Amino acid sequence: MTGTVFDIGYQHYAGVREGRARALGALVADGVRTALGLGRGARAKLLPWAFVALLSGIALVMALVAGAANRLGGPGTAERTNLPSHGDYYGIAAVILFVFGALVAPELLCRDRREGVLQLYLVRPITGSDYVVARYVACLAVLTGAAWLPQLILFVGLSMGDPTPGAYLRDHWLDVPRLLLAGVTMAAYVTSLALLVASFTTRRAYAAVFLVGLFVITTPLTVGIAEELPGALGQWVSMGNLAAIPVHVNDVIFGEVSELTEDAPARTLPGAVRVGWYLAWTVGAAAILWARHRRVRP
Amino acid sequence: MAGDRVILEAERLVKTYANGVVALDDVSFTIHDGITGLLGENGAGKSTVIKILLGLVRPTSGRATVLGQDVSADLAARARIGYMPEHDCLPSQVSAAEFLTHMAEVSGLPPAVARTRAADTLRHAGLFEERYRAIGGYSTGMKQRVKLCQALVHDPAFVFLDEPTAGLDPVGREEMLALIRKTHREFGISVLMSSHLMADVERTCDRILVVQGGRLVHAGEVGHFTRETETVFLEVDGDREALLAALARRGVAVTTDGAGLVLAGADQTLYDHVRDAVVEAGAPLRRLAPRRRALTELFERGAA
Repeated sequence: MTGTVFDIGYQHYAGVREGRARALGALVADGVRTALGLGRGARAKLLPWAFVALLSGIALVMALVAGAANRLGGPGTAERTNLPSHGDYYGIAAVILFVFGALVAPELLCRDRREGVLQLYLVRPITGSDYVVARYVACLAVLTGAAWLPQLILFVGLSMGDPTPGAYLRDHWLDVPRLLLAGVTMAAYVTSLALLVASFTTRRAYAAVFLVGLFVITTPLTVGIAEELPGALGQWVSMGNLAAIPVHVNDVIFGEVSELTEDAPARTLPGAVRVGWYLAWTVGAAAILWARHRRVRP
Repeated sequence: MAGDRVILEAERLVKTYANGVVALDDVSFTIHDGITGLLGENGAGKSTVIKILLGLVRPTSGRATVLGQDVSADLAARARIGYMPEHDCLPSQVSAAEFLTHMAEVSGLPPAVARTRAADTLRHAGLFEERYRAIGGYSTGMKQRVKLCQALVHDPAFVFLDEPTAGLDPVGREEMLALIRKTHREFGISVLMSSHLMADVERTCDRILVVQGGRLVHAGEVGHFTRETETVFLEVDGDREALLAALARRGVAVTTDGAGLVLAGADQTLYDHVRDAVVEAGAPLRRLAPRRRALTELFERGAA
């Protein structure tokens, strides 16, 4: 079969230009693809998917252990023996989620500035605020997905592992909105802090190391000092543990204390205070991030 | 070919930075359909002009409109403008096809159209076969062409090209200049191209703007500019002083350049005067050649 290829020359576009909305959608989609290494080489995919696998793997192990306990000891054994469940998951996996965020956020902001792509965005029909909001949404989407997936695996695992899955679903359906809310809470906190730090440098490695250091160092520092201080002072120093701030909110959502916060003096503070403190960090960091990009110039 | 449709207007632009540096001082010009060269030495104010026209920098005073719209006030107007920066602006990890599709979408094109236009634009730039390779592995010339493609992929009415031949070898430079000419003559997209290379501008542009020290020192057709900047280089054996006197009597403006003389103008009368003066001074002619004023000389003249 033969054919002829005709060069019809340059074609002008006379169709609809969808403007800012299309631009924002494209930036969010690109952010998600960048964060997960989609459309890039194998090396770019390795780390994000390894973290997703690790986070999911923890949930899978928790589900298998609980399932085995329920099968061997009868319905409700896992709960009676206080095996880790939804309320404990973020207490166990929070640090992994923080490190994942510390890798994803610089990938979204630092690379655009370092490689000069930001100047191309800013001459298109978007503002600096639009750009950073789109990147925020992309980072939040990826981290929320990474936070939800293990909890959903755990929920399905616990349901299937129970000798009476129907009864389990009837008794635990409220865990679903709780785990979804707790997942978004974790992701929003990590997104705000990680993107804010990433906005101060063009070097991804600097931002990632600083963020990991921030989460890792504040834990022993605040735990050690808080133990020495009595009463309210100790509680507030304990609230300075950046890794524990969203886990306190997780505790409020599930109405129980997780492994990470069980020894923290801040756990006895009223729920509203812990949520308010969380919001101050999350919204505050996001506001500074937005303000820094409002008048950004290439 | 160049037309009369007004693409861009700048009225009394002044830009003074916070540190007191005056980057632009009362600059006004109009750019018509065609390829316009923005010529100036490094630091002359070319990039500031482009950034104001793109709406990235607000002028201290004055006003600029592109396609009749103030770009800094109307975001939607940017959908019809393309910009190719001087410095690196390409992601290393993604393919040219993916990058161009993304940039077309950011300019407001629907995804299916963006994909088609990305492939078409890369084909026009001679990169169709390489479109699925990561940009990080491209040569400098190919990267420069991808930079031009991202400025064209959303079918703008007007593109700004900031030093498009920077860093290219002679072959790459030729290809880039050919592509710029094609952008206007075949694609019908008007171009404002900044450069500090007079030869690039002369060979590519229809009109020219020359900035020096933040001021506009020349605006007009390239042909007029070329005639105005043409000189004749003259070298003789024998009595140079007698020749200088003979030329002075005929009203020819002469400057010395090493062993030779540089005569302003290049019309037939000048050649007649040279012939008569050489005969009168009895100085054997060694070299007579048309030449162009160097860019630096031109700027010195403009500043004066």
